[in-house]
Amino acid sequence: MLPDGLKVDAIIVGSGAAGSHYAAKLAAGGKRVAILEAGPARSNADLVSSTLWARRLKWHGAPVLETGKNPVGHVFNAGYGVGGSALHHYAVWPRLHEGDFSLRSRHDRGLDWPISYDDLRPFYDAVQEEAGVSGDAEREIWRPPGAPYPMVPVPLMPQGALIAEGFKRVGLHTAPLPLAVNTQVYRGRAPCIWDGWCDAGCPIGALANPLTVHLPEALAAGATLHPDTTVTRVLTDSRGERAIGVQTVDAQGARGQVFADLVVLAAFTVQNARLLLASAGARHPDGLANSSGALGRYITTHLAAQIFGLHEQRTQPWLGAFGGQLLNQDHYDDKATHAASGALGSYQWMIAQAVKPNDLLGIAPSRPELFGAPLAAFMERAAQHFITMTGVIEDLPLAENRITLSERRDVNGVPLAAVARTSSSQSTALWDAAVLEGRRVLEATGASEVWSGSPAPMHIMGGTIMGADTRRSVANSFGQTHDIANLVIGGPGLFPTTGGVNPTFTVHALTARSAAYLLRNWRTITG
Amino acid sequence: MPLLSTRRELLLASGVGLLTFTLEGCARQMTPREAQQRGADLAVLTSQEAELVRALGEVLAPGSGEAGLAHYLDHQLGAGAARSMLMIKYLGVEPPFTSFYRDGLRALEDATRARFGQTFVTLDAARARALVEDIAAGRSENWAGPPAAFFYFVLRNDACDVLYGTQQGFSELGVPYLAHIEPPTPWGA
Repeated sequence: MLPDGLKVDAIIVGSGAAGSHYAAKLAAGGKRVAILEAGPARSNADLVSSTLWARRLKWHGAPVLETGKNPVGHVFNAGYGVGGSALHHYAVWPRLHEGDFSLRSRHDRGLDWPISYDDLRPFYDAVQEEAGVSGDAEREIWRPPGAPYPMVPVPLMPQGALIAEGFKRVGLHTAPLPLAVNTQVYRGRAPCIWDGWCDAGCPIGALANPLTVHLPEALAAGATLHPDTTVTRVLTDSRGERAIGVQTVDAQGARGQVFADLVVLAAFTVQNARLLLASAGARHPDGLANSSGALGRYITTHLAAQIFGLHEQRTQPWLGAFGGQLLNQDHYDDKATHAASGALGSYQWMIAQAVKPNDLLGIAPSRPELFGAPLAAFMERAAQHFITMTGVIEDLPLAENRITLSERRDVNGVPLAAVARTSSSQSTALWDAAVLEGRRVLEATGASEVWSGSPAPMHIMGGTIMGADTRRSVANSFGQTHDIANLVIGGPGLFPTTGGVNPTFTVHALTARSAAYLLRNWRTITG
Repeated sequence: MPLLSTRRELLLASGVGLLTFTLEGCARQMTPREAQQRGADLAVLTSQEAELVRALGEVLAPGSGEAGLAHYLDHQLGAGAARSMLMIKYLGVEPPFTSFYRDGLRALEDATRARFGQTFVTLDAARARALVEDIAAGRSENWAGPPAAFFYFVLRNDACDVLYGTQQGFSELGVPYLAHIEPPTPWGA
């Protein structure tokens, strides 16, 4: 039970990757921290190895109203409960590249970050040591500079070996996929047994999720965790210049207030923006931290390019990590590689995912047109001979792709988030080009059949972007909102551009950098 | 007493893997397959809807109807959004999902009657397949419900979940289950 009127040093809204990490660092720095989590408590015992049970980990809070040609897929991409979406993330942890930070300057499209790769590099290095990342830095010939991985890479299994040969035959490289998954005992945590249950949550501590790494650290340092506590509004002082706390409502409908010197919003991309917009008042009529008008804008997701095949050889496709075994980034650094077809952006291949027979990313939905006896025959064959890989395609940020508030309200009276998103022509052209390349690779493996899926949204980013220009962005590079110094945003909503890599590692690097800055400048920021 | 040869048999024998259904006014622990076979009460679907789901399941993924697709759907629709395991929750449909299924089933039945002058459950295999092919392609005439192709996609995936998404389903495909934590039941308590 959260005492009404509690006063702490820092409130963290959300307990996912960013929230749990902020809590750990601030609590270790001597701050009294309360983590407020809208969803239920979770423990490792909840991480049941089942594609069906795993669906209970996904978002089931207030509905998000999605429109546009490329909806963001909020329920699938967001988590609900302690650990947030990071509880069921696949722990693919590549770094952004230098060129990802200056898209506007280099290509006159999209946006620039207010920082460079060099600003984040030491934090990538520190986080990978802390959380544990496996990989082979030398074989990642495209990898930006940084410390080698602390663990040896994921082993190569039959599916990965076959597809690696396909890449080789078309003149492309592969390297072990960098994974925040233990390949050996690491800091007392067990190694992975490569059973492919990452999407259902890893209960053995092999995957660096919040329950395994940062929440235990936060709680050991004195932070308190309050599940079933929804924040409905950020409170400010009478002049609207400082955040003073938040309004809450618990699962029984009891309302309260919690006060703090610092408020960190780490409730994931859509809910962070929704909460700021819904906290509008006389001093901030368009929402908190929205003097720029940029709040809610530039919502993005990666476009997933799923390529599938059947091979004559048995591939044991159930083995490995859900994120895959191998990585290819051969065309990553030249964002204009496919400019002839109108494409712009970076992409990577995550190769040889462990798959299950059913579920949205499983074998059966890969051929949605099959039913009846042909489906049964396909399943029998594919269960033993399936191969797959997924392209992570950059999505250019567009101002019109936007989170706004609906007229509809949730059970607590807070307006629902409405999210409109349609990808740019450059991004969809890049997806098309990547799919052609991916099909060519799987065909080169000698696969008997190759097919591809439709563009699918993965990783929701933007909406509360960082920037150097206070007139065009919501926060600075530390997540501090331009308008209210002691109101901080955490998570991938800060990303001005997406790059073509999975975002969680960068979320952690940004969080580590911000937490160090906040602790170093605590009095100035909260005074 | 015969030896229990597999972990699944052990789980079933010990009562794990069973859901609570009502049979003749009494709460009974059964698998959805048993619930289907023994005609357990339905909480959400009508008996006509359940029969239609079973028949459609057999066309989409043969074996799923007999495996208890109708009772699985009925159980999940009664579970509430937080506990629901239906894939539809990923697909942009707001909970509760009952009206989606109910409207879709009604549209299926109406389209069947308009085209063949009979109910779906009485169609022979060729006619049922022809109708489902058109629904899957979104070209079904006389369809008044959720988008036909989307309804097909959802029900097909539900049928695949029932047939392939359990330890038994994995086993029948020769896929090692490799659980860290065994599901207490295949489809939720």
